Amino acid sequence: MAEVIKLGFVLMVVAVIAAGSLGFVNGFTAPLIAQQKEQAKLLAMETAASSLVSDGSEVSFDSLAVPGMGNPYASVDEALQVVGVYSEGHLRGFVFIAYGRGYSSTIQTMVACGTDGVVTGTGILFQQETPGLGANVANPERLIAGFSGRSAPGLVLTKDGGEIDAITGSTITSRAVTVSVRRGLEAMDAAGLFTEGGAL
Amino acid sequence: MSLAHEFVKGIYKENPIFRIVLGMCPFLAVTSSVENALGMGAAAGFVLVCSNFLVSLLRNAIPSKVRIPCYIVIIATFVTIVDLIMNAYVPDLHRNLGIFIPLIVVNCIILGRAEGFANKNTVPAAIADGLGMGLGFTFAMIVMATFREILGNGTWLGINLLGEAYTNQPLLIAILAPGAFILMGFILGFFNIMDSRRKGGAR
Repeated sequence: MAEVIKLGFVLMVVAVIAAGSLGFVNGFTAPLIAQQKEQAKLLAMETAASSLVSDGSEVSFDSLAVPGMGNPYASVDEALQVVGVYSEGHLRGFVFIAYGRGYSSTIQTMVACGTDGVVTGTGILFQQETPGLGANVANPERLIAGFSGRSAPGLVLTKDGGEIDAITGSTITSRAVTVSVRRGLEAMDAAGLFTEGGAL
Repeated sequence: MSLAHEFVKGIYKENPIFRIVLGMCPFLAVTSSVENALGMGAAAGFVLVCSNFLVSLLRNAIPSKVRIPCYIVIIATFVTIVDLIMNAYVPDLHRNLGIFIPLIVVNCIILGRAEGFANKNTVPAAIADGLGMGLGFTFAMIVMATFREILGNGTWLGINLLGEAYTNQPLLIAILAPGAFILMGFILGFFNIMDSRRKGGAR
């Protein structure tokens, strides 16, 4: 009995020291990590939005509150957050983050689309798919390159009857990203964000 | 046993992959490109040295009956701290290696060396062992990744070796999971033959 208590005590001491040091490290790294995430997100937004303005002029962002818009990513985000992209006083398009449950992570894709709902640029924000296979989704020349110039109905993999080639050996990842982008566009379309002429 | 001996043995004679056959999980999973192999090797080697150091330091304080849970807690804590600090201070490196870091916890080379070496030896010996094993692991990862990347993608460390025509229609199986098992068989077989030759076997 005494030995059990002693062993338990040693384990507890080890666990407490481990938890304490983790808490200490987390305490000063968490704000830095959050700050870097925010910066990376802003950079990805700017990169994606640069595809909306052809002349490379300054863009500004403004979060849009669209009443009644459905959120296809209810499990990861409270509401679908769409950011309007403005340039020289005109609304040029939208950026939003699509969340798709892949093989081993929820993949976040930054999507820029014009006011007509056609995708102009994409970038993978976050993924933890299998290195060498699903992780190739982050390569801008692979899967997501095929998204540009398509609107929601065109975002379908070849295997599902569409025209977008999946990454070999990574169908689950490819499908997750494609479907997540399509769902986001469909929700925005259903909320009446897209117009033919481009004026809101 | 000299420190130099502890260091050198991990590279070939007691190579963790080819001879001890530990750490098969990362060896099969992250060798699809040389870049990944280098990243995983460096990250695991670093954690290996640090965990060997701590386990060796605490080898008289931890009762043998609860040593395995203690080692696992130490290794997992260490990996998480490395992950957090890299994420906060060297985000570029973390972006490249980040996916491998959680995988280090399940790398049984680290637990294997803690259990098989560090808890019986002095701190300097344990560090030398960790360095050697880490280098041996990285070496093995690069050997495997070289075959897989050249056959499966026509490139080596991203440099195109076999030309555009091959890259468009490569031997894809080499980069997929079955190819890893097949190549592992050949590589382990080769090292077994080398070993029996070295021992003067007639086979």
